[in-house]
Amino acid sequence: MMEFKLPDVGEGMHEGEIIQWLIKEGEAVKQDQPIVEVQTDKVNAELTAPAAGVVKKIFFSEGDIVEVGTTIFTIQEENDVSVPDKKMIDEEIQGVQSVDVKVNAEHITTKQHVVRALATPFVRQLAREMKVDIEKVKGSGPAGRITESDLKQFKENNSITLNAKHHDNKMAQEMALMKGAIQAKGMGNEWEERIPLKGIRKKIAEHMVKSVSTIPHVTHVDELEMDQLKEFKNQLKEYSDDKDIKLTFLPFFVKAIVIALKEFKTLNASIDEKTNEIILKNYYHIGIATNTEEGLIVPVIKHADQKTIFQLADEIRQLAAQAREGKLSIDQITGSTFTISNVGPIGGMHATPIINYPEAAILALHKMEHRMVVRDLEGVIRLMMNMSLSFDHRLIDGVTAVHFTNRIKELLENPIRLVVEMR
Amino acid sequence: MVVGEVAVETDVIIIGGGPGGYAAAIRLGQLGKSVVLVEKDKLGGVCLNRGCIPSKALIHTADQYQRLNDLGKMGIRLSQERTTMDLGVWQDWKAGITSQLRQGIAHLCKENGVTVVKGQAAFLSDDRIGVETDGDFETYKFEQAIIATGSRPFIPSFIKVDGEYILDSTSSLQLQEVPSSLSIIGGGYIGIELGMAFAKLGTKVTIIEMANRILPQIAENLVKEVTRNAKKLGVNIKTSTRVEKASVVDGHVHLHVSSEEQGAEVVVSEKTLVTIGRIPNTEEIGLNRAGVTVGEKGHIAVDMECRTNVPHIFAIGDTTPGPALAHRASKQGIVAAEVIGGLPSAVDSPNVPYVIFSDPQIAGVGLSREEAEQQGYSVKVGKFPFSANGRALATNETEGFAEVIVDADNHILLGMHMVGADASNLIGEGVLALELAARVEDIALIMHPHPTLTEGWMEAAEAVLGHAIHIVNK
Repeated sequence: MMEFKLPDVGEGMHEGEIIQWLIKEGEAVKQDQPIVEVQTDKVNAELTAPAAGVVKKIFFSEGDIVEVGTTIFTIQEENDVSVPDKKMIDEEIQGVQSVDVKVNAEHITTKQHVVRALATPFVRQLAREMKVDIEKVKGSGPAGRITESDLKQFKENNSITLNAKHHDNKMAQEMALMKGAIQAKGMGNEWEERIPLKGIRKKIAEHMVKSVSTIPHVTHVDELEMDQLKEFKNQLKEYSDDKDIKLTFLPFFVKAIVIALKEFKTLNASIDEKTNEIILKNYYHIGIATNTEEGLIVPVIKHADQKTIFQLADEIRQLAAQAREGKLSIDQITGSTFTISNVGPIGGMHATPIINYPEAAILALHKMEHRMVVRDLEGVIRLMMNMSLSFDHRLIDGVTAVHFTNRIKELLENPIRLVVEMR
Repeated sequence: MVVGEVAVETDVIIIGGGPGGYAAAIRLGQLGKSVVLVEKDKLGGVCLNRGCIPSKALIHTADQYQRLNDLGKMGIRLSQERTTMDLGVWQDWKAGITSQLRQGIAHLCKENGVTVVKGQAAFLSDDRIGVETDGDFETYKFEQAIIATGSRPFIPSFIKVDGEYILDSTSSLQLQEVPSSLSIIGGGYIGIELGMAFAKLGTKVTIIEMANRILPQIAENLVKEVTRNAKKLGVNIKTSTRVEKASVVDGHVHLHVSSEEQGAEVVVSEKTLVTIGRIPNTEEIGLNRAGVTVGEKGHIAVDMECRTNVPHIFAIGDTTPGPALAHRASKQGIVAAEVIGGLPSAVDSPNVPYVIFSDPQIAGVGLSREEAEQQGYSVKVGKFPFSANGRALATNETEGFAEVIVDADNHILLGMHMVGADASNLIGEGVLALELAARVEDIALIMHPHPTLTEGWMEAAEAVLGHAIHIVNK
C-alpha cells in the first residue's frame, strides 16, 4: 500500500486546500493520472498518481485544509493486490485447528489505527449527534486530538460549504458568501454571520499583516497627464491590430517604471532582516496585482526590462487570462521585485497601497479621466490620472520617492522620451 | 402462514439472551420500546452459563488449590492430610453463581419491561418471527429485530463430541470428577485456560496445537511466560502438530497425531477437549426469509450501527465478524438498541481489549509492536517487569511485565499489554488511556497508588521516556 503525502508544491508552503477529487475510492488509476486538485498559496496544483493501482482510501474531503506531509490518499499498487489472497491461502493451509486464530486475524486486519481520528469517546458521540464525520475534522488539541470546539468549528465551516455547492470554485464560494453575509447583515433574525478566514483570503490577510507590521509605509501621490501617451497609443493601434495585439496603457507603465527603477535602485530592493542587509536587485520582475474572482493575484512579468512593449502587452494579457482561470503556476506568481496595482479601471482617486512584502515599493494607478487643469495660467481639459506610491521609509526617503515618480511622470507624459530611453 | 393467525406485535424482537441480547433488551426497555427477548435455553447465554463465568470459577478454584502448595514458604503449615478436590461440590457452587446471575438478569429485564420468551425463534419474513415453545408456536410482528444468537464450539468432522470422553468447552465445565489425563486439541486461549486449570487440579494435560506455538493470535513476547509456566505445571505442549484421527478404545481416547519433527504418534488420555474455535449460530433462524445475507464463514456483516443488509434488522456479538468476546457483544447490543431508539450511537472503536486467564494472565488493548510497525508507525516500546514491583514481590506474583507501545512521532499510545497477576483487571487503565487518545506522558505523570501492580503501567510509560525509577534505563 502506498501512502500519498501532500507534497510541498509551492515555495515552503505549509498547507493546502483540497479543491476537488478527480477520482473516487476504489477506482483504478494509471500512473501520472490526475488524482486531486489542491490549492496552495495562490495556485491550483493538480497532483497525479505516483503509481498505477487502486485508490484504497481518501482521507480528506473537498474543502479540507491539509498540512504538508499528511497522507491524503493511499494506493494499492497493481503488484500489491495478491497480498490478501496469500493471506487467505495461509489461513486455509493452517486448517481446522486455527479457527479461532482466523477469527482473530480478521479482527486484527480490520483495525484502523492508521486513519483513526484522535478523539475521546465523548467527542465521538458528540460528532455523531452533530452529524459530523469525525474522520474529516482536523484536531487542534495535543498531537492533533479533536476537541469539542473543533467539531463546532468544522460544523460551521461545513454548513457554509454545503450552502454554496453550486459554485465551482472554493474561493469563489467564500467570496460570494462574504458578499451575501454583508448584504444580509441586519436582515432576518441573525445580526451577523461568521465566516472562517481561510484559503486565499487567509493567505492575503497574513501577507498584508506581515507587510504593514514590518515595513514603515509612506504613500506619496502625484498626477499624470495622459493625452500624449493616449495619442501615441492610438497611432500604434493599426500596427498592433495587424500583429493581433491588444495594446493597453499598462505596458507603457511597466516600461517607464523599469527605466525609473534602474535609476533609483533602492526602489527595486528589499531588506534582509536576518542579516541586516539591503538587497539591490539588478533584475526587474514586475508584479501586476490583478483582481480576480479568487481574490487578489499578482502575476509577475519576469525581466520586464528586456521585453518590448508588444511582448509586455502579450504577456500581460496571457497572465491575466491565466489568473482568472486560476491556472497560474507558483513560478508565475512569485519573485516580483516591484508591484503595480492597477485599480484604475474600477475607479478611485488616491490610495495607500500596501507593499507586496518584501519589496520596497508599490505603485497604484488610478482612474483616468478628463479633468480641468491649469496650463500657462489657463484652465484646460486634460486626460488625467493619479498614481499613489507606497514606499519603505527605511530604505527610501521622501525626496527619492518624489524623484522616482517625477521620472515616471516625465517618461509617460512625453512618450518620445520613453522610447529613446528604452532598450 | 395460517389464515386468521394473530401475531403479537412488538417494537423490537431480540433472538438470543446472551450478554449481547440481554444488554440490548434492557437498554431498549430504558428507551421506552416494547421488547420481546427470545432465548431457547437460559438467560445469560454461553458467557454466563457455559463460558466466561463457569470457566473463571474453575480457574479460580484451580488457582486456590494450587496455591496451597506455595503456602509453605510463607510459613503456613497445612495439616498433613492430603488436599483433595471434589468437582461435584464445585459444580453446585458454580451452579449457585450462574443461577444468581441469571436471576439478576431476569429481574432487570422485568424491571425494564422486557418480555422474555423461552423458545426457538426463526424469521418467517422480514417483519415476522415464529417462536416454538414446548410444541406451541407463536408469531411476533416486529418493527426491528436484533440477531444475537451467538456461536458454538466448532468441531471438525473427524471427531464427535460425546460429552463423556470427547468434550467441548461446555461439557468440560460439567465434569463431576477431575480427569486423570486430558488431551486438548487447540492451543488457543480456551485450551490454555482450561488446560492450565486442570493441570493445577492434578490432571495430566497434553495440548496439541497446529501452529508453531500456543496462543498464536497473541504477540509472541507475551506468551513466553505462559509457555514456561505451563511446562512447569507438567503440561505437555505439542506444537506444529496435527490431529488425524480420534477414537475411543477401552475407555480412553486415542488421538492419532503427526508432526514433521515427531512423525506419527498416538496420544492416549482419559478425556479429550476439542477447542479449536467457534462458529456463529446463523443457520437455523431463517435468515434467508428475512433477506439477511450471511458471509462464507456464517457471519453476518454489519455496519458501525450494527445494521445488517436489511436496515431494520440488526446483528450483534459472535454472529458478526470479529473476535467472539462477550464485551464486544454487549457493546454492540447497547449500540443497536440506541440506534433503534433513535440515538446517535455507533461501535466506532477498534480498541477491543482481550483477556486470557492463563497463568500468568495476559491482557491487552490496541496494537502489538509488530502490528504497529506493519501499519507504518515508528514505534517506541516501554517495558517494566513485575519482578521490580513491590506488591508483586509481596504477593509472590513476580512473573510478567507491563508493556506500552507508543507512536514515536507524537507519543500517542498505540497499545498496552500486560502479562502477570491480575492483568485482566489492570488492563482497564489501558483501555481508558487508548480511548482517551492519551500520550505516554499522561500515564507517566499520573500518581499511581502504592503498593499496587498498577505502578507497572507508570514505570513502563516512564521507561519509554527514559526515566523509569525502579529499573535501569538503557
